[in-house]
Amino acid sequence: MSARGVILVITEQREGKLNRVSYETITAAQKIGAETGWGVEAVAMGAEVSVAAGEIAAKKLEKVYQIQSPTLQQYTADGYVAALKPFLTEKLPSLVLFPHTYQVRDFAPKLALALDRPLISDAVGYKYESGKLIFTRQMFQGKFAADVSFTGEPPYFATVQAGSFRADQIENGSTPAPIETVNAVIESSSIRVRPHEMYKEAKQAVDLTQAEIIVSVGRGIKEQKNIEMAAKLAEVLGGELAASRPICDAGWLPIERQIGSSGQTVSPKLYLALGISGAIQHLVGMKGSRSIIAVNKDPEAPIFDIADVAVVGNLLEIVPALIEEVKKAKAEA
Amino acid sequence: MQSFRKPLAGVDHPQMDADVVIVGGGPAGLACALRLSQLIDEHNARNPDSQLSKENISVLEKAREAGQHCLSGALLDPRSMRELLPGFEKEAPLDAEVEKEAVYFLTEKGKWKLPITPPPLRDHGNYVISINRFTKWLAKKVEDAGITIFNGFAGSELLLDGENVVGVRTDDKGVDKNNQPKSNFEPGYDVRSRITILAEGARGSLTKQLIDRFDLQAKRNPQTYGVGVKELWEVPEGRVAKGEVIYTLGWPLTRAEYGGSWIYGIDGRQISLGLVLGLDYKDPRTDPQHALQSFKKHPFTTKLLEGGKMVRYGAKSLPYGGWFAIPPLAGDGWMIIGDSAGFLNSQRLKGIHLAIKSGMLAAEAAYRALLARKFDAAQLNDYPKAVENSWIKKELWPVRNFHQGFEKGLLHGLFHAGLQQLTGGRGLYKKYPSHPDYEQMERIEKLSDEDASRAAIIGPARREGALTFDKITDVYYSGTKHEEDQPSHLIIHDTNICNERCVQEYGNPCQNFCPANVYEMVENSESPGAKQIHLNPSNCVHCKTCDIMDPYQIITWVPPEGGGGPNYDGM
Amino acid sequence: MKILVCIKQVPQKDAPLKLNESGSWIREDVSYEVNEPDAYALEEALRQKEKNGGEVVVVTAGPARAQQVLREALAKGADRAIHLEGDEFVKLDAASTAKAIAAAVKSENFDLIFTGLQSDDYGYAQTGVLLAEVLGWPHSTIILHIAKEGDGLKLKRELESGYFQDMEMPLPAVLTIQSGGNKLRYATLMGIKQAKNKPMTKLGWADVAAAVGKNGLTIERLYIPEKQKRTETIDGPPAEVARKLVDKMRNEMRIL
Repeated sequence: MSARGVILVITEQREGKLNRVSYETITAAQKIGAETGWGVEAVAMGAEVSVAAGEIAAKKLEKVYQIQSPTLQQYTADGYVAALKPFLTEKLPSLVLFPHTYQVRDFAPKLALALDRPLISDAVGYKYESGKLIFTRQMFQGKFAADVSFTGEPPYFATVQAGSFRADQIENGSTPAPIETVNAVIESSSIRVRPHEMYKEAKQAVDLTQAEIIVSVGRGIKEQKNIEMAAKLAEVLGGELAASRPICDAGWLPIERQIGSSGQTVSPKLYLALGISGAIQHLVGMKGSRSIIAVNKDPEAPIFDIADVAVVGNLLEIVPALIEEVKKAKAEA
Repeated sequence: MQSFRKPLAGVDHPQMDADVVIVGGGPAGLACALRLSQLIDEHNARNPDSQLSKENISVLEKAREAGQHCLSGALLDPRSMRELLPGFEKEAPLDAEVEKEAVYFLTEKGKWKLPITPPPLRDHGNYVISINRFTKWLAKKVEDAGITIFNGFAGSELLLDGENVVGVRTDDKGVDKNNQPKSNFEPGYDVRSRITILAEGARGSLTKQLIDRFDLQAKRNPQTYGVGVKELWEVPEGRVAKGEVIYTLGWPLTRAEYGGSWIYGIDGRQISLGLVLGLDYKDPRTDPQHALQSFKKHPFTTKLLEGGKMVRYGAKSLPYGGWFAIPPLAGDGWMIIGDSAGFLNSQRLKGIHLAIKSGMLAAEAAYRALLARKFDAAQLNDYPKAVENSWIKKELWPVRNFHQGFEKGLLHGLFHAGLQQLTGGRGLYKKYPSHPDYEQMERIEKLSDEDASRAAIIGPARREGALTFDKITDVYYSGTKHEEDQPSHLIIHDTNICNERCVQEYGNPCQNFCPANVYEMVENSESPGAKQIHLNPSNCVHCKTCDIMDPYQIITWVPPEGGGGPNYDGM
Repeated sequence: MKILVCIKQVPQKDAPLKLNESGSWIREDVSYEVNEPDAYALEEALRQKEKNGGEVVVVTAGPARAQQVLREALAKGADRAIHLEGDEFVKLDAASTAKAIAAAVKSENFDLIFTGLQSDDYGYAQTGVLLAEVLGWPHSTIILHIAKEGDGLKLKRELESGYFQDMEMPLPAVLTIQSGGNKLRYATLMGIKQAKNKPMTKLGWADVAAAVGKNGLTIERLYIPEKQKRTETIDGPPAEVARKLVDKMRNEMRIL
């Protein structure tokens, strides 16, 4: 282990472009580094990742590694572990951080176990208490938060949930970080899975749990024809449309879009509740949302107890105005 | 358009043969199963050459898990359990032995304590229990004894062969909202059984079919009911002692209602609190869940709950009719036990011990029938005869007229109760008549000024801090859950009556008497200003009050897809 | 194909859970059910058996009460069950659980092991992947379709933001199954009855302890997530409210 601790962020890129949660993970590493005094370094990996590596190097990092191999052209768990295991064995960082993505879920546990080290998955925060690093994560579908710590020696592994840290709080470096190229040697015979090209497909089912923005309507929408207005707002915001139970009961929206104890549990970045009074059956399905805006004409509506922003008013007037305003903002951006 | 649950046409039902099928895995059904198992074990020990098998004895239970639909205060009179399992106290989950009791009469702000606890409400020697935990424990005993409990299966129809009951059809699973089979459709089984024992609890849906089919109530008083609403609370240590029992009469109920409230100390921190209300009330606006909320707002109760947290909610109906309302208990191929038959002492507000005892007696009759290989009424009438000769009758006979005496209100009731006390239960008349509860309900136009005193129990309750809850919040705490994509199991035979007549005549009392927000009157999207009935069947907690109380008798409660319903863990 | 399905027993979704003073959850007086994602894994295994023949075996690790989820699986059509029974299994982290299961099944020649996507209680989403690593098998996660082709499998897996990927994979392998792809079947009366006579192998802590080793993770404490929300009220005419909301979306929520 290096004399001074090092946090290594394994970023994820596709066609040279880093995903947002990779940046958020760098933010997390920088914050942990500031508290622990550990240095922060990052890795970009793939067949040829100079663009991504250059991009990361602009951030405040002590070093950037580009781990390259033609075998890494297509992601495979075997390939990624074969590339990272010897690298980490040699570097022995204190902490290895990953963005919690489908791809990371696929290989990070395998990598950690290959090094006989523990992995805390899907962390939403951390604490550094008297020399001990603790990650917080949700358990029991958000009913509880848990403080989880590592036992044994580092390196420790953790994955960071999207949206837990803010990419816009990332610190940029005064000078670009040095980039070191690591040519990974991977036996192609060690790759047991043969992946084909990825493809996009209209999902058969709506997956509200993945939506970043949800516009949700309740009884206050009054009439079926007003659903269209909410749908328009969801569209301009780039979000999904959802509803509380009475709307789905009435058949105005399909049951897949129902939020609450008898429907989906969601935690988007923004949950815009239109005309939803906020029965507890609904609240349990959305109270984990990062931000909640509630529009309701009843100032006593329980939804306001958990809303960040409360608008007491007529949604039939506010929604059209909001659609226009969002359009304007998008046009400016 | 709402579709109502109905048997699918043209479906082949798989068959299963049984010797005994018990519908309902509550205290009555499980005691019955366990007693039958004991008798078979004893028989087999005595007769190595003619063994009886338990393989074809089973219990159908609509809940996902034993005890989840079981709700009571609960106080257990241990008499029948001591007969069923001597020494049961050592292993059963009993929370506390009753050590302290008091009865209060409440006015809106005040209270006075009755100087002595009336004998029927004396509970020394009884146990505070969670009926949910108790039933789970009993279910494990039954399964360990080698009897299969089919959890998640409701009885949806009786199988009849002429005048004989020859078994039960279980619920169809995987039927969508519009009564169409889904890809995982499983038709109900025809369980063809020599003996069918109905242990469905109060107002059982198969029991109702049986009573209607054979006109069993003809020579009896109509069954009357109460509804009990309960909340389980966690409060700071020391508010109500472990094993402390408090009954209250009076506020928030008025002299026109029959009922009262209870508070039981479970373990020093948990308390059971609830209210029972006779369904013979007259004001259609009466809302039992609201009454419970008001009870909590009485200074006496508030003080006990302050700083505490409600953890569970539930509601169920209970049969009040007493001895004269008990239908014939056996016939060709069938027996009825427990609350389904009406075994409840309405004066002591206790029925668990009677349910257990009736189950045991039915088991003994079933055992003799299995030995005799005869399953007709003549054979199974062993069971009603045994009831006649048992302490069940001794306990119920003196209170046979108790509840009927209250039909005209509290003062009349107390008068008759006093008189009955002096005359060994007879009172003024040999057999006090009774009327179905829904007939007592009065039309809105008939309500007088006097009815204004009922503000604390009519209309919807409001949410106030951590003390009182609106109905929908309480429903959440019942843990009730159903497959969403299924037809409504609350069958309204003519919704025009709701939307056109009832709205005028009774103001849609279903919204009030249903303790689970199943019934709602919503804006009619086609004709503005008008309201129409809307059902939330998934909220149902299976109390069956709607089936009992609807003034036009157009609501039929049938079991939803098996596995659905409340989750009364710890209740 | 001989398929093993790993099933976990978890508290029922709406069960009110309580914490004790030391910050762990109280396991008594809670109703349990099969972890829903595992129910989808079982469903897929039963469908594979219907297509390709073979055997479906279910395994769980946990105290006596966990046997219930095995009984349910047997009632739905699994052929036999393995119960790693003991309170010790409750405290294992994902890696230790994977090691325990691997030790229990390594002598059987399974072609495939299925797990659910993740558990609804701890939600580590690791056990399946770790199990593959312990066994030295390949794995893939979030699988939507499985077809047997020659000696191997053709798979479709789900990626983020609407992407999918097909892949080929040799046997034996571990797959974690995406939830919701199939409709779950119901247990039937006959199935429940027959389940009573299906084989249930019980293994204790002592049978696998040597292979498990120490936990790498410690749950220090559980707690109710703190909420630091303050509700801010916005009013004014609709156009003004809309402007203020968009300002918040842009500058505070950063979603525009």
